[in-house]
Amino acid sequence: MLRRPGGELATRPLHFIWIADCSGSMKSDGKIQALNTAIREAVPHMQRVADENPNAHVLVRAVKFSNGAQWHVAQETPVADFRWSDLTADGTTDMGKALTLLASQLEIPPMSERALPPVLVLISDGQPTDNFKKGLAALMDQPWGKKAVRIAIAIGDDADRDVLQQFIGHPELRPLEANNPEALVNSIKWVSTAVLQAASSPASQVQPSVSTSSTGASQSQTIGSASSPAAPPPVGPVAPASPVTNVPIPALLQPVATPSSAADVW
Amino acid sequence: MPAVIETAATTAAVWQVSGASVRGAAHLRRRLPNQDAIRWSASGNGAAPLVLAVADGHGSAKCFRSHIGARLAVMCAVRVVETAFGNQELIDPSDLSAIDCLTRRIVAEWQSAVSRDLWLFPFEEQELALATQSAGADVRQPLARRPSLAYGSTLSVAAVTESYGLYLQLGDGDTLTVSPDSHVTRPLPEDPRLFADQTTSLCMDDAAGNVRVGLQRWSAESPPPALILISTDGYANSFKDDQGFLRVGSDLLLLLQEEGLPAVETNLESWLEEASHLGSGDDVTLGLLYRSSVSLSSFPVAQPLLASVLGVGR
Repeated sequence: MLRRPGGELATRPLHFIWIADCSGSMKSDGKIQALNTAIREAVPHMQRVADENPNAHVLVRAVKFSNGAQWHVAQETPVADFRWSDLTADGTTDMGKALTLLASQLEIPPMSERALPPVLVLISDGQPTDNFKKGLAALMDQPWGKKAVRIAIAIGDDADRDVLQQFIGHPELRPLEANNPEALVNSIKWVSTAVLQAASSPASQVQPSVSTSSTGASQSQTIGSASSPAAPPPVGPVAPASPVTNVPIPALLQPVATPSSAADVW
Repeated sequence: MPAVIETAATTAAVWQVSGASVRGAAHLRRRLPNQDAIRWSASGNGAAPLVLAVADGHGSAKCFRSHIGARLAVMCAVRVVETAFGNQELIDPSDLSAIDCLTRRIVAEWQSAVSRDLWLFPFEEQELALATQSAGADVRQPLARRPSLAYGSTLSVAAVTESYGLYLQLGDGDTLTVSPDSHVTRPLPEDPRLFADQTTSLCMDDAAGNVRVGLQRWSAESPPPALILISTDGYANSFKDDQGFLRVGSDLLLLLQEEGLPAVETNLESWLEEASHLGSGDDVTLGLLYRSSVSLSSFPVAQPLLASVLGVGR
């Protein structure tokens, strides 16, 4: 058998990033404990999905935000090696700073162009106390920020659903509602399994139609010789297009968990 | 006195075309068909052009017949380009209107072929139900408006003559040329929209207007490449980086020169399967046009340039 042509083969990286609200309000009613438990319990399910999709190399990280934003898990960790260490809650809700921090990691490099669209999961129980729009703009300025699968989980009644909807950026997808610990566990599990599964082997998505010049000259690029660089293709006026979901988000089929008592409702 | 036969041993360059397509490792696991397609043609008279076409069906929930769309794409592309050459329509390849006409005809033929397939085999409720299950009820409306969405596919074409190479590409995938000294280049302009698995397609509005075109005129100063490769994106996505993928060009040229095309053909499918298994998991298709020198037999009468010897592709 002849030696295979080409360089090293590799599976495609799939970055999965938790973005967790650790503000003071998350201390009340066991919310931060429920979040820690939910993510910890989701890890084996993520590992199972990753095993079933070996061509996607799932790499997990986490950002936390309260007073400012920091990486809770800074190193992109293969899901097989991922272990969750508990978050604690205190302070304000600097969600904008969290998105700015995230944006810097979605640049190319360190991201690769051949990566699978990353999955970003924003979990919050309140309203941002900093410049959220600036942070969102920074995120969406990055090609991978724009193409990421963005999911949001609203914990309790006080979560700012408008802000979470802006993060999601797709009119047909809504923030998941987690009004009690069971619902939070279900939402976290769904994101960790169904969404991860869908993101692991996406199909090609057709670009929205683009109006271009109708003359032949606008389409053809003539190269005088094999080595001369080609001119960039002319770009005609771009028709406004509806957002294209890169990864079709599967429906959340599990029933919403009902709380065991009124005290369990956030 | 024996006749003196004057001989002149000469070499001549011939183009040969080949390729392979394998079902992706992920598609095997999910029991999906190979959604790529490849086709090539050759004429036997030595002066005709060679045409190679590769296509990649999108495979999304609403593109549930994209494996058929890909097969129709390569069939239509090869037929249209061959006909254009046969009708002397591409004598001057820098005639932009002729190139424009060619791309529009390919798209129109594909749309007609899709319409015919749909007429013979209308959508079944089971197909629509599966699409709805995967992508939601919203999938039915766009399909009702534009049924060709179900057949969506990319398309890449390379055609070589004695004087030039013509490259057409709609959607993702890669076209590479390899010079005789193993320098690998991309002859087509990039499309910055093709990022994160998004692609242009035969099923979109003004598909022909989104075709990228490349042309290489050959001369003594700019000789033809030794090798041209067209592949679907499953192949490039299987390499750790772009440099690793580009090395396919130089490595394959060396293998072809040292071992010959039959030996490469024997190994090609297993290489592509390995790439999919250890890399992207996607269907992987690679077509090649190889320009080799052959030694002509010594005859007292000059021989015409030998044609390549290949049959019609899948």
